[in-house]
Amino acid sequence: MDLSFYAQLLLNGIVIGVIYALVAMGLSLIFGVLEIVNFAHGEFYMLASMLAYFLTAHWSFDYWTTIVVVTAVGLAVGYVLFEGLLLALRGEAFERSILLTMGLSMVLQNGAVFLFTTTPRMIETPLSYQNVQLGEVRLPVARLYALILGVAAFAALYLILHHTRLGKAMRGVAQNRAAAMMVGIDTRVVSRLAVAIGIGLSGLAGAALAPIYSVHPLMGFAFVFKAFAIIIIGGLGNVSGAAIAAVMLGVIESFAGGLLPLAMTDAVAFIAMIAVLLLRPQGLFGRGVRV
Amino acid sequence: MISLRLAITALLSGLFASTALAQSPIVIGASTPLTGPVSHYGQHARWGSELAVEEANAKGGINGRKIEIDFQDNRCNPAEAVKSVTQMLATKKYAAIFDGLCSSAALAIMPLAERAKVPFIIANASATSIAEKSGEGGNAWTFKVNPTDASMLDALVGWLDKEGKADSIAFLGEDTDYGRAGSGGFETALAKRGKKLAMADYSQKGAVDYTAALTKIKARKPGMVALYLIDADFQNGIKQWYTMGGGIPLTGRVLVEQVPKEILASGFIDGTISVQPYDVSVDTPANKEFVDRFTKKYSAPPMLISFESYETISILIDAMRRSGDASPDKIRDALTKTKYQSMLGPMLEFDNHNLVHNNAIVFGIKGGKVVILGMSKT
Repeated sequence: MDLSFYAQLLLNGIVIGVIYALVAMGLSLIFGVLEIVNFAHGEFYMLASMLAYFLTAHWSFDYWTTIVVVTAVGLAVGYVLFEGLLLALRGEAFERSILLTMGLSMVLQNGAVFLFTTTPRMIETPLSYQNVQLGEVRLPVARLYALILGVAAFAALYLILHHTRLGKAMRGVAQNRAAAMMVGIDTRVVSRLAVAIGIGLSGLAGAALAPIYSVHPLMGFAFVFKAFAIIIIGGLGNVSGAAIAAVMLGVIESFAGGLLPLAMTDAVAFIAMIAVLLLRPQGLFGRGVRV
Repeated sequence: MISLRLAITALLSGLFASTALAQSPIVIGASTPLTGPVSHYGQHARWGSELAVEEANAKGGINGRKIEIDFQDNRCNPAEAVKSVTQMLATKKYAAIFDGLCSSAALAIMPLAERAKVPFIIANASATSIAEKSGEGGNAWTFKVNPTDASMLDALVGWLDKEGKADSIAFLGEDTDYGRAGSGGFETALAKRGKKLAMADYSQKGAVDYTAALTKIKARKPGMVALYLIDADFQNGIKQWYTMGGGIPLTGRVLVEQVPKEILASGFIDGTISVQPYDVSVDTPANKEFVDRFTKKYSAPPMLISFESYETISILIDAMRRSGDASPDKIRDALTKTKYQSMLGPMLEFDNHNLVHNNAIVFGIKGGKVVILGMSKT
């Protein structure tokens, strides 16, 4: 195998890692602030991809407009989700949040099957088929854009969390909700924003990945299952940890898939998760402080 | 007086009972993926079989009795298939069980049908082991209408060998009975000609990213690539192969109807030589009529799954008609004596492994278009 083979595996791994991060960051943020594991996260990602498909294929929206519209819809859906459902869980048992989000996941998935059927759809625009070539190494343009969007989303989220009053409030709520309320932080507003941003990120992921992967109502499972492993490896509720863990996992998986039998790639992700749980139960980047 | 009343009551209840029996529908139980990664295929299985049932009912059903087909979801999962068929068999209202669709599911259903002594007729599952375990010396209640992977791949590899293209084939398939039967079929057919696969790798069903595996295949520079993925997995695989500039023709069972038009038209997979039990463009009057009827009803053209389901249910209904009372044992006996004119040409009969040998279609892709290279009996 020549150098270009390894370079291609590395590039593939970084891109898939950033794609994982796009999905995992929103999940991690919601858990960090609300302590809710959103089992419906994959379905929001799927619905965003569906919306991107219809905007592109039926209403001829261009790539960037689709990204903006779908992300905005995601933010709005997150707002409604919090006010309509998650708010009712305030102070309630963790188990109820699991049941609620799992139920929501089933309703959304089966609703999508009913409305759109299970037929897989592909966005067929020139963007879907173009690629950038450097010697023997290729990067499809849609993946390059997803990479840029993923890095930009992480940078924006990092800046919000660490350099704005809102971000400080979110981290405050994540660390100690009661203390945050005592110093005058409106936990409802902060939680609502966290859910809106989390679902907005899944909207961004759905729109960015729709030109790359086949779109169908059952697509949410594949990434979200992996995203759960990522947020555990990164440290539950730690957004930066989740992003770093996602890229690490993407690269490891790519090399495992390229050098070992393909069946080993998923095993690698979950062996890593088990190892982290055994050696560092708080996750690689977990410091007991979330978000 | 009392005895007269009793006699009238007995006569009337006898009449009602016989009318009810005459009017009670004959029910076929179907286990197929209605949800999960291959539910799109399940939908076509449903469409094809429901069209056959509808047409048979329009012709009066079976001795005045309507035919019904009751679908249960198996998610392409053997455990779910066992659950759905066990429930169906427990009610004892089903005259026959249909399909499973996925090889793993069909293999799991086979012993259940045998124990319950209910015919199990398979339209789509292609694993060779199904036929090996059926008929003489095996499961006498399982019947398989579509060709096995081994028989199709033997025809394909023979064709490739004739053209000097069988020396270096890389295989990427889903890690299921379908994928494993594909690689097994290739290995057997190649071994007969003193050759072997250049490499074989298997992905988890429902995987979305194949870039690592495709990078590995590309680096090995094989002459052809056999991609044994289906539905959304196939679409993802072929798109990623294209954007990575794969540049190696495909072989095996290429799902041409699922190749994006832009990729097909670009000539990227020109040189592909594949085999399928069916192609929508088969030029026989019966197939053309079928395509018209199907497209009119469902606003979508039939695909392999819909064709196989249609013909299989038609064969089952034909056996039910010949069986007399449509009881499971008589349907089984009638199935063994089947003579059914396929839309693809041959007169179909079950062999001693309860397997039908229809034509397979060897096709190629030239100038971005599908070209039928020939038919080969499986």
